[in-house]
Amino acid sequence: MQRISRREFVKRTAFAGAMLTSIPALIEACTSGSNTTSKTTKLTIAAVQGAEDGPLKKVAPMYQSQTGITMEVVEFPYDQLFEKLVTTFQANGSSYDLCMMDDPWMPKFGTMGALQPLDSNFGFTRDSDIPSIVYDVGTWPPPHGPVPPSEQGKSKHLYGITIVGNVEMFMYRKDLASTAPASWNDVLANAQKFNKSNFYGYVIRGKATNPASSDSLPILWSFGGDIFDSSWKVVLDSTASIDAITFLTQTLKKYAEPGAENTDAADRDRLIAIGQAFQSTTWPAEVTGVVEAAGVSQVAGKMAYIPIPQGPGGKGLGMMGNWLLGIPKGSQNGQAAADFIKWLIKTENMKTYVQNGGIPTRTSLLNDPTLGQSNPYFPALAQSLAAQPNWRPRTDQWNAVETIYGTAVNQAVAGLKTPKDALTAAAEQIRTAMKQAGYPS
Amino acid sequence: MKAARAGRRRLSRDERLAYMLLLPALGAVFVIVTIPFVLVIIQSISAEDGTLVGFRNYSRALANPLLYDAIRATGVYSLIVLPTEILLGLTFALLVHRTVRPQGLRAAIYVLAILPLVVPPVAIGVVGRLVYAPSYGVLNVILERIGFVHHEVNWLGDPTLAMLAVASVDIWQWTPFVYLVLFSGLQTVPRESVEAAQIDGADWWAQFRYIDLFYLRPLFLLIVFFRLADVLRVFDHVFILTGGGPGTTTQLLSLYMYRVEFKYFDSGQAAALAVLVLVSFSILYRLISRALPLERT
Repeated sequence: MQRISRREFVKRTAFAGAMLTSIPALIEACTSGSNTTSKTTKLTIAAVQGAEDGPLKKVAPMYQSQTGITMEVVEFPYDQLFEKLVTTFQANGSSYDLCMMDDPWMPKFGTMGALQPLDSNFGFTRDSDIPSIVYDVGTWPPPHGPVPPSEQGKSKHLYGITIVGNVEMFMYRKDLASTAPASWNDVLANAQKFNKSNFYGYVIRGKATNPASSDSLPILWSFGGDIFDSSWKVVLDSTASIDAITFLTQTLKKYAEPGAENTDAADRDRLIAIGQAFQSTTWPAEVTGVVEAAGVSQVAGKMAYIPIPQGPGGKGLGMMGNWLLGIPKGSQNGQAAADFIKWLIKTENMKTYVQNGGIPTRTSLLNDPTLGQSNPYFPALAQSLAAQPNWRPRTDQWNAVETIYGTAVNQAVAGLKTPKDALTAAAEQIRTAMKQAGYPS
Repeated sequence: MKAARAGRRRLSRDERLAYMLLLPALGAVFVIVTIPFVLVIIQSISAEDGTLVGFRNYSRALANPLLYDAIRATGVYSLIVLPTEILLGLTFALLVHRTVRPQGLRAAIYVLAILPLVVPPVAIGVVGRLVYAPSYGVLNVILERIGFVHHEVNWLGDPTLAMLAVASVDIWQWTPFVYLVLFSGLQTVPRESVEAAQIDGADWWAQFRYIDLFYLRPLFLLIVFFRLADVLRVFDHVFILTGGGPGTTTQLLSLYMYRVEFKYFDSGQAAALAVLVLVSFSILYRLISRALPLERT
C-alpha cells in the first residue's frame, strides 16, 4: 500500500469533505429545477397539529388517489406554525404550497402581501351555501370594520378559504337545567344555583395571554365593550369594558374552579368531561375531541350547545376562530393548490370531510340532521355563523394586543389587580404599541 | 520593505497544518456565531424597513416597564435555583464521595443523575403540570391525603407559589448536573492530602473547608457560568406551566424576548434586548470570574 504524506492526507480529506457537503445542495438544485418546469406532482401543506388538521389529513389521501398528486401535510404546534409561516413568508420561501391559518393571522399575512389572491388569480367566487362572513374573514383588507391605516385604499381580494368553521359557543349541562341561559344574568343565576362542593358553577379559561383573551372577548363584546372603536381608538378602559371584565373575573369567578388563572382549554374540557362543572364557553374542537367523545367523557349526550348568551344590551356575540387555507406567494404550484381547495369545499367532499371529524362551513351540512346526530353543536354553530359573529380586530398588531389584553385579564382573574387597574394599564400599553405601529390611537 | 520582509517569518509546516486543521472550526464559529451577532447588532439599530434609526430601539426597549418585570422575575428565579442547586448538588456529591464505596453503586447513581439531564424540557414541563395543576395535580392530592392541607393549594395561580413551582422543576432537572461536576472534582482530591489531614485530626468540616473546597473552587465558577447561561435560556417548562403568569410574575427574560419578537413582531426591539442582555451578562461574568478565580490560589 502506498504511503501518503500528511499534507496529501489533509488535502484529500478536505476535498472529500467538500464533495460530501455539496451533495445535498446539488440534489436540492436538481429537484427545485424540476418543480418549475414539470406538472405538479406534490403539494405540501403547512398545518396546525391537533383536532383542526386531523380531518384534512384523512381526506388528503383521497385527493391523492383521484389526481395522483402526492399530498404531504407538515404539522406544527399552534405557536410554531405562526412563527414558521411568518419567517417563510419573509424569505418568500417555496417550502409550502398551502398553509393553514388561524383567522387572526390574516391581517399580518395580508399586510405582508404573503398570499396569492384566490379570486383574481384562480377564479374563486362566493357560494351562497357558505355564510358571507366566512368569505369576509378570508378577505384582505377587511370588507367591514376598521381598516389598518397602511391598508386603506388597497383593493380587496380573497386570500383564504375557511376549512374549519370555528365559532366560539356556549355549553351547559342540559340534564341539570331545563332551559338554556339566554343572557349572562341567566348564566350567573345558574352558576349560583348549581355551584356546590367539587362541582363548579362556571369554568373560566383564564391562563395568561391567548386563553384569557379568547375566553373573555365574547363577554367583553356582549357587554358593549371592545378593545378598539371603529377608528382604532383604544376603548378597553371604557366603563362597558371594565363592567364586562369585572363580571367575569369577580362576579362569575365566585362560582368558578380554583386556579382559574391557570386554566387552559384542556383543563376546562377535563372538568366538564368528568362531570365537575356546569357550564362554560367552548370551541367545536373541544366538543368533538373531549366533551362528546365516547369512552372519554362522562357527560356525552348531557351537554347542550348554544350561541353566546346576550349581554345587558340584548346582544350576544360569538367569536370567530376560523382556520383557513391559503396559497403562499412563494409557492410554485399555485394552480394545483387552488384546485385542491376547490375540491375540498365541494359539498360531497366537505361531507366526507365532516364524516372524518371536520367542521363545515356549508349551511346545508350544518343543518343536515344525519350529520347533526354525531355533532350536536352543529345547529348552534349554524346559528352563530348566521348571526354574524365578531372577529378579532383586523390589525397586524393583533398578536401584541392579544398578549397585552390576555395578560391583563389574567391579572384580574388572579386577583393581582382590580379589573379597572388591569384594563387601564393594558389600554395604555396598547395605545403605545399601536401608536408606534402608525395607528391613530 | 526588505526589513518588513525579513521580519515576516515563514510559517513552519506544522504551523501551517495546525492553521488548516483549525480553519473548519473557525469557519463554523464565524458562520454560526459572528455573522448572526453582526446581523443582530445591525437589526438593533434599524427600523422594520431597514433604515438606520440609531439607538431608538434601545430606548424603546429600556422604556418598556415589562422589561423590568422580566428582569425582576429572572433575578428572583436565579436567586432561587442557583444557590439551591449548588447546595443540593454539593451535598449529594460529598455524601456519595464519602459514604458510597462500591463502584457499581456509584455507577448506578451516576446513571440516575444523568437521566433528568436528557429528558426534553417540554416533557418535564408537562410532568410539572401534572404535579402542580389545580384540581388534578398529584401534589395537592398527596398533601390532602396525608392531611397536610385541607384546601387545594393554588400552586400555579399564586404569584409566590408559581415562581417556586417553576423553579422547583429547574432544580429537579439541573441539580444532578451540579452533582456530577462536583463529584468528578472530588475525585481529583489527592488521597495523601486527605490522609495527612485525618492524621492531624481534621474533622469532616475542616477536610471540606481546607482540602475539598480548594479543588472544587474552579468548578463552582464553571457551574455558575453554565447555569446562568441556562437560566437565560429557560423557556419550555415555564411556558407550559404558567405561560408567564399569573400576570407577568413568571415571565422570565427569555419568554419576554420571545414575545417581543414573535408576538409583537418588533424585531428591532428584540435585537436591542438581545444585545443588552449579552453585554450585561458579559459584565456579570467578568465580575463573577474575579470573585471566583479559575486558578487555585
